Amino acid sequence: MLSKFRRVAQATASIVACAMAVAAQAKPIAFAHGTTVMGEYGAGTMTEVQAFYAPTFRYSLGVSHLTLDGASERKTRDVTYFRANYLPKRWNLENAQANVFVWGGAGRAHIGETSEDQFAWNVGGQFDYETRRIYASLRTDLHEASGYSHRVDTLQLGIAPYEHDYQTLAVWIVLQARQYTGGLFPGTEYAALLRVFKRNAWLEAGATQDGKLQAMLMFNF
Amino acid sequence: MTSRRLVIALLALLGASGTQAATIELTVNGLVCGFCAQGIEKTLRRNAATDDVFVSLENRLVAVATKPDADIADDVLRKALQDAGYDVKAIARTNRSLQSLREQMKAKK
Repeated sequence: MLSKFRRVAQATASIVACAMAVAAQAKPIAFAHGTTVMGEYGAGTMTEVQAFYAPTFRYSLGVSHLTLDGASERKTRDVTYFRANYLPKRWNLENAQANVFVWGGAGRAHIGETSEDQFAWNVGGQFDYETRRIYASLRTDLHEASGYSHRVDTLQLGIAPYEHDYQTLAVWIVLQARQYTGGLFPGTEYAALLRVFKRNAWLEAGATQDGKLQAMLMFNF
Repeated sequence: MTSRRLVIALLALLGASGTQAATIELTVNGLVCGFCAQGIEKTLRRNAATDDVFVSLENRLVAVATKPDADIADDVLRKALQDAGYDVKAIARTNRSLQSLREQMKAKK
């Protein structure tokens, strides 16, 4: 009886999570004529540094460097991409905003286990929805080369304890679930994060279920 | 003749000091985060007629104070906000200064 209740509760939680699957992840385009620099440390499995310039609010161009570290120590990928991000759809609602972003990139990957350098490409997308109290984002990122194929899916759900304004500090409590394919990480990695931002600076830090650090820094100017 | 010139100069001076900077208040949809506000502020400050900009997420308000004797046409403002990625729902010209708007918004909290 108890296990049945638990299964129903888990199923309900999954449905709610999927229904809310829209949320506040860092956006690859901040604003027209804006430059975005961001760095993310993902619990030792993923480290990414990106820099973009957006000529308009619809697209941005830039470079990114990604390191993926698998469960096996030699299973590493060091990838440098030239990337383009595009915003095909934005909904500006009275007290909310939702966006669909897509991106693609091409570059070189160094594969740890074979010490080979290969052509690599990346495509991804993100859907996010936010008010000043609720944030949700669902993001998928596919990384391909002849020697590997990895997909990283990230769901974030956030809640703000108070409604921030432009001049005040924004504080968010964010729950994250991330899944890696291609043998990088077994199962789903969960993290609880504290996000703060004000004016042009954004800082997010927390820990995964294994107690590993998950952090992100972003600046717009 | 000299006193007449003096009176004209004084009147011109009084007229000049009476010139008020106007405030344009825009109601904007999609204003939910500081980064949105930052992009809008940056865009509007690029306009030569802009003196100051105030953004309130709480009130969906973007207020632009223009320089004395300067104005920004409604279609220019709409396009600027659209190019920044936002939708303007209403535009009003008021006599409220940005300082008084800031104080009013602060008092409301």
